Amino acid sequence: MSASLHPFRSHSQPARRIEGVIFWAFRLATYFVLACGLAVFANIFFKGGATVFQARAPFVNFTFLTEAPESLYVFEWQGRKVEMGDREFREFRERNPEAAKVKTESYVYSAGGIFPCIVGTVLLVIGSMAIALLLGVCAAIYLNEYARDGRFIRFVRLAILNLAGVPSIVFGLFGFGMFVIFFGWNVSLLAGWFTLAFMVLPVVITASEESLKAVPRGFREGSLALGATKWQTIRKNVLPYAMPGILTSSILGIARVAGETAPIMFTAAYVVRDKLPWDVERSLDFFFQGVMALPYHIYVVSSKIPQNEYTEKVQYGTAFVFLAIVALIATSSILLRSHLRNRYKW
Amino acid sequence: MPPAESAAAPAVEFAIQKRRVRFLGLTLDECIKLFFGGNAVVSIVVLTLITYFLFREGAGFFGQNRVNLQVYRQAGLEYVDYLRRQADDHTALTRYLADVRLRTVQHHTRTSGKSLEEANAALTEFDVYVERYSAAIDPLRTMVGELSEVASAIKTKFIVNEDKKEERRQLLAEGKMAEAARVAIDRVDFEAELRPIRAGFPAYRTLNRELSSTLTQLAGNIPALPVPELQQRMERFAVLSREYVGTFPEIERSLESWDHNAPISASQAFSSFLFGRQWLTASFWQDWYGIIPLLIGSLLVSLVALALAVPLGVGAAIYVNQIATPLEQKLIKPCIEFISAIPSVVLGFFGIAVLGQLLRNLSQSPALAWVPGFPYSERLNILTAGCLLALIAVPTIFTLAEDALNNVPRAFKEASFALGASRLQTTMRIIVPASLSGIISAVLLGLGRVIGETMVVLLCAGNRIAIPDFTQGFAFIVEPVHTMTGIIAQEMGEVVRGSIHYRALFVVGLVLFLLSLLINFGAQKIVRRYRISVG
Repeated sequence: MSASLHPFRSHSQPARRIEGVIFWAFRLATYFVLACGLAVFANIFFKGGATVFQARAPFVNFTFLTEAPESLYVFEWQGRKVEMGDREFREFRERNPEAAKVKTESYVYSAGGIFPCIVGTVLLVIGSMAIALLLGVCAAIYLNEYARDGRFIRFVRLAILNLAGVPSIVFGLFGFGMFVIFFGWNVSLLAGWFTLAFMVLPVVITASEESLKAVPRGFREGSLALGATKWQTIRKNVLPYAMPGILTSSILGIARVAGETAPIMFTAAYVVRDKLPWDVERSLDFFFQGVMALPYHIYVVSSKIPQNEYTEKVQYGTAFVFLAIVALIATSSILLRSHLRNRYKW
Repeated sequence: MPPAESAAAPAVEFAIQKRRVRFLGLTLDECIKLFFGGNAVVSIVVLTLITYFLFREGAGFFGQNRVNLQVYRQAGLEYVDYLRRQADDHTALTRYLADVRLRTVQHHTRTSGKSLEEANAALTEFDVYVERYSAAIDPLRTMVGELSEVASAIKTKFIVNEDKKEERRQLLAEGKMAEAARVAIDRVDFEAELRPIRAGFPAYRTLNRELSSTLTQLAGNIPALPVPELQQRMERFAVLSREYVGTFPEIERSLESWDHNAPISASQAFSSFLFGRQWLTASFWQDWYGIIPLLIGSLLVSLVALALAVPLGVGAAIYVNQIATPLEQKLIKPCIEFISAIPSVVLGFFGIAVLGQLLRNLSQSPALAWVPGFPYSERLNILTAGCLLALIAVPTIFTLAEDALNNVPRAFKEASFALGASRLQTTMRIIVPASLSGIISAVLLGLGRVIGETMVVLLCAGNRIAIPDFTQGFAFIVEPVHTMTGIIAQEMGEVVRGSIHYRALFVVGLVLFLLSLLINFGAQKIVRRYRISVG
């Protein structure tokens, strides 16, 4: 009896081949996406790394990380190209009076560092996440612990879903219209905090609800059976087990907050500011001042100044620092989450 | 043993006595519940506030735009624009002639092997024709120039007066009567001011008649060209030219019946925004706020992004969910999630610094000349922005589509295998169709993500406010455009608060907001409607 008559024979060869080709196409698509992501990372890390790190000890370019941005002056001096920051150049001119006649090219923000931007971003992230976590966790507790399914709850969930889809620039406009103009806070940290907090609210609520759901029902029932009130149950038997999950999942929200530019463009970010945030006369002024922020600074240096070998350093350097911060946050979130999954097994 | 005491004890005695604290008649637990409930309402409140503030800042736009259009008419700018359009149409025809000339020269030098001088010499007759054709419009152009100045002057006068009125209102509000009385306001009498413009009508009519006869005569005897293909173009030109002349009586009629006092209705102010094909601000002549070029820009960029992201995202989801080994699954998912963490402004910078140049170099390689629009010279365009947006959309589409595939019950797969289907058949005919609603909603949410993206399009889409040229087929993908998100981000910082431009940007934001709600709503509807039920 020949094999071809066997009723349970495997699929014919051409069909196998087609299957193989199509599966390879899917595999290719997957790895192509990963390669694109990797290409962006690699480009920024290699070129930006050159600004942030250096070959000599202490290996990290502390000037770039700890100073404020300055203008860069490029000129020819005694047959060599010299690059100098603003302050250095001024001193140099005082020492060498003939330098005043030398033709210079200047590029704004291309010398010095990005310290005020780092500080501003950290402040924005901390404040907005504090607000978002408070509102988001409380909302999630209500939705998961108290609410019974009904028309109102469905409406709330619909609002959360829709809020998640609102473009970030619309949040920016809203923040500008409400906090900056209507409340009269002007361009300030406070306005930025609330705008960003409202933007990540859906992310935080969804993440918190999932963590609360992961706590087994038995925990609550046991506590209630022993006579604890609802609030005691939540406080002692639900939140402690859900909190690590809430925090780690919300870290992804932090990455999003740190990465957004559009909402802070009109609400919190200054193109340039000489003073650091803690240089305020009254402590209340702290909340009502604008700050420099990394994402906005990247936008400014990549669109407002020309692209050449002198400006490239600060552009890539800023992008590197920013990407490194965001990547660190995202990685820690992903790692912590898998760690947590292994820790609690119910 | 005190029996008296036991008799005095209350009839019901609890083991635990607890005093309930009450605030406003609510127990502590109810208060806590209310507090949490209040937080849950925040999302509704925020959504309402967004709507309210967008309306609050944007609603004044339509009224202001109506005034804007009213002035455009009253000051006679509209009248002059009729004539200007006529002159511009003529210019378009002249450009057509120049194009034909260029082709003829190319034909002479390449095919017939003539030198450039010889080719030019052979075209002497043609050049005389072009000269005559373009000279015919000169009187009309001069007239347009003169009238423009008059109309501009009227408009300026009106605006200055409006400013003075505002000044007086402010002075009066401050109680400075004397200063207010000193602000001189002379009412602009449009009827009188427009008289010089109207007076030109008989002159225009004679001028028009001459132009029409010249052009008709010119269209009647077109110069002969060497190749039938070019000759055909010239004949097409003659037809276009006659059609152009045919529009003259229409223009004359609309000029004659033009009334500077005809009111602009609210719907006109509305439709000039919604269907306006021009977004022109800070112009010395007339500002236009039409959303169409921005909307088309946003849509085109998003479509290019989705065309790239849907195959990649859905393909990757199918691969990871159905084909990949467990180890691959474990590694790829976090990696793609990681890509979604790349901030959009960094991607935009990458586009400016690397991708734009890369794509342009790629387009200049001869092997890719078949791609529509290649080679091109604008570094920042729809394609560059679309590629980067695709990278933003892929993680969204991937995650949601993978979820949808995951939700297909195991029994479906097992049943399919049990019936003898291969893996490919099971995947493509059972698993994917079963989760199609989830995949479609994933694509829709990806679209929402892409259309609302700001920084990438602001940095990489080229920022030219114009409707792309669709006549060349798919070549439009390499044209620069401006988008709704981009225009808000770019112009918001520079506008005066409360001005029409400022309000127009808020209305654009409102359109964006409604669009995103619509997309979200659609995605949810699709999921709910076509959810597979097991059982």
